[in-house]
Amino acid sequence: MAEVPATVAKKQGDFNLRTIVLPIIAIVVLVAYFSYVNPLFFSASNALNIGRQSSVLLMVALAGTVVILIGSIDLSVGALVTLTGILAALTVDQFGLAGATLVGIGVGALVGLVNGSLVTMLKVPSFLVTLGMLSILSGVANQISQGQSILFADSLLPDLVNGSFVLGIPNVIWFALIATAVLTVVAFRTKLGRYLYALGGGEIVASHAGVPVTFYKILAFVLAGAICGLAGVMLTGQVGAGTPTAGSSLLLNSIAAVVMGGTALSGGIGGPHRTFLGVLVIAILTNGMDVTEVNSFTQDIVKGFVIILAVSLTIDRSKYLFIK
Amino acid sequence: MTSLTVVGRPDLPGGRPAAAPALELRDISKTYPGTNALTGVSFVLRRHQMLGLVGENGAGKSTLLSIINGTVRPDTGTIAINGEAVRFGHPTEAARHGVATVFQEQGLIPTIPVFENIFLGRETKFTVAGGLRRNAMIAEARAVLEELEVDVSPTALTGALSFGQRQLVEIAKAFALSRVYPVEPIILLDEPTSALSDHETAKLFDGINRWRSRASFVLVSHRLSDVFAICDEVVALKDGHVVDQRPIKSIDEVALHELIVGRQRNAEYYREAVQREPSATVALRATGISKPGHLRGVSFDLREGEILGVAGVLGSGKSTLARIIAGAEAQGDGDVVVEGATLRRGSRRDAIRHGIGFVPAERSVAGIIGTDTVDWNLTLPNLKQIALGFLGLISPRRSRALTVEWMQRLKVRAPGPSAACRTLSGGNQQKIVFAKWLARGVRILVLDDPGRGLDVGAKEDIYSLMREIADKGAAVLLVSDNLPELIGLSNRIMVLRDGVVSAIVETPKDAKPREVDVVSAML
Repeated sequence: MAEVPATVAKKQGDFNLRTIVLPIIAIVVLVAYFSYVNPLFFSASNALNIGRQSSVLLMVALAGTVVILIGSIDLSVGALVTLTGILAALTVDQFGLAGATLVGIGVGALVGLVNGSLVTMLKVPSFLVTLGMLSILSGVANQISQGQSILFADSLLPDLVNGSFVLGIPNVIWFALIATAVLTVVAFRTKLGRYLYALGGGEIVASHAGVPVTFYKILAFVLAGAICGLAGVMLTGQVGAGTPTAGSSLLLNSIAAVVMGGTALSGGIGGPHRTFLGVLVIAILTNGMDVTEVNSFTQDIVKGFVIILAVSLTIDRSKYLFIK
Repeated sequence: MTSLTVVGRPDLPGGRPAAAPALELRDISKTYPGTNALTGVSFVLRRHQMLGLVGENGAGKSTLLSIINGTVRPDTGTIAINGEAVRFGHPTEAARHGVATVFQEQGLIPTIPVFENIFLGRETKFTVAGGLRRNAMIAEARAVLEELEVDVSPTALTGALSFGQRQLVEIAKAFALSRVYPVEPIILLDEPTSALSDHETAKLFDGINRWRSRASFVLVSHRLSDVFAICDEVVALKDGHVVDQRPIKSIDEVALHELIVGRQRNAEYYREAVQREPSATVALRATGISKPGHLRGVSFDLREGEILGVAGVLGSGKSTLARIIAGAEAQGDGDVVVEGATLRRGSRRDAIRHGIGFVPAERSVAGIIGTDTVDWNLTLPNLKQIALGFLGLISPRRSRALTVEWMQRLKVRAPGPSAACRTLSGGNQQKIVFAKWLARGVRILVLDDPGRGLDVGAKEDIYSLMREIADKGAAVLLVSDNLPELIGLSNRIMVLRDGVVSAIVETPKDAKPREVDVVSAML
């Protein structure tokens, strides 16, 4: 099997190099730079800070990855986190931790079901369906909360999320890491995972191979919704209240993280493990600029440049006929 | 780059030695990775003539048109327009020399009015201080349409026109070139009639005949009747070579067809010696398959160990038939029966459950997922085989092992099971599509043009693979544009014409029919 034109083998190597190694290089460079400017950056306690700040983002980015893998997009993820967070705050005192978690995941899955059904049955592009859903969910969240934070008495939820059972690492970080690990296994070692990649890479090929295309597309949205629901509950536990603005920054940051990690918006390439790296880049960048006291307006500008630069380096252009 | 020269109206009544031809190609060659698309192609288009360009799929017609209109650059060779050597780096440069293409898949934008389409990309003439003189554009477009007697309003929305009308607008757009640039148009017509009714075709030809004194034409068509109806000369292409250029009056349809297919059928190439007799057992029975506009009452028995060929011209419904049998498209009426079970219409899943593999024509869109690895492609319909162990998780090791096994059996050349499929050559990709179904142990294979776009060596591999499959008792439905392939490989050929079975030609291994015998039933 060795008789391969060298060019083919090389192309293959480049492909892996770019998408896996570049985010890692970015992380190393960022860590080195921020540690140089402020030595406090390079400490165990700041590492935990980074973890705490990015756990919910990682969950949301994972949800986004699932949908982006099939070549669709879910713009309602941030708003869904907000809504499920508020619902969790409203229900946790009455139904307890398990009840609130179920409500969050259930509502998330339901919203995903609606998204997926509209995309597949009515054939409305996912960008528009979920853009509409974003607006609807934000509206509902504001209606319910009347724009106020929802406080609750329960202490089990905040304790579970913010406490630490293992190695002194906050549980919220463990949850996000476990979610990453589980989704990575799902992506590579289950039928569902392979079908997601197949749908994104070649929907017609998948349907010719007997994949029930509609079912798995809807399932991708449902899965994403459920993960967002869980993220909403986690966020409420972390903050100690349900807040109507909590999820607003999550959408753009999560998409940036997914794409920086090397998951193509056209679908079929990338995966949860990549998204983990993408989130790490964004988290380190944000935290580093905080620690080195870059003002928040400048932070946005820098972040924007880094996103464009990173994507221009990692994107695999050979797949695109036109760049729109 | 040549300077623009103004070409006056050529006043050359017959007799005088003709001035330079409108278009002359000398020794044009173009290579794509793995294939020689064109080799040393030369021909001449005389002014105000209609030149027919004919050849099988893959003969190089499209590449040739793309080279003439500047979308593709030839590796070697020269093009001369009105005797002047030109070199196009971009379609706009070709347009400046009057070259315009009327595409098979139309190049008009449906959401804008006709006049904007007519001058699209050539608005400079109508631009004043950055604004467009809309009325001048409309007036000019109207003049062109009227001159050509095309009954379409220049302000009509393009998408609202019928297909035939849009085809005429395309040609008007080509003529409008001469109002922007001081040149006489050279119009390339790429299968202009493939989607037209007979009536629309006649109208189009009427129009073209009226315009002949003002332009030169190249016509690419699958329909030889088109070529005989309006061409003055014909160039036959085969495997990227010009076989012949001659006046249309000096040739008849059968002779032209022989020019097109041209080659000697090679019994060795198709492994005819090992062609087996099909068993008596029917593997798949199709009864009265119909689909409005495509197929009418097609019935046949496909037997174990048989290769049943399906022949027909473009639009005969043969591809639709393949898709229906494979369950990739639902028929309007009729049944596909396998082992007594009637298959669910348009359900690929049900077809797979009954052991039907499908190798579609569009390999890159429907056969292979280019971004996925070889093993992910091969195991897509075979996940049960590799999902053992804890929680029924897929074993990457088994996935690769299964893939390597089939890569070796089919002699797939690839860096390994983890190579991205798009890095493989077309022939190797096609082997993966076959392997996908062979690994599943299918008993019936539906193949839609399995040799399309493959080079000679890859075809040979695929052909011997098909023989092997049939020899092991599987049933093969082979739909193909390639007649020698059909005759060489099939036990029988079912010929479709306009969606109806027009003939069944027996092709036993010692008494293969000639191509003309099959062609006569196709046309």
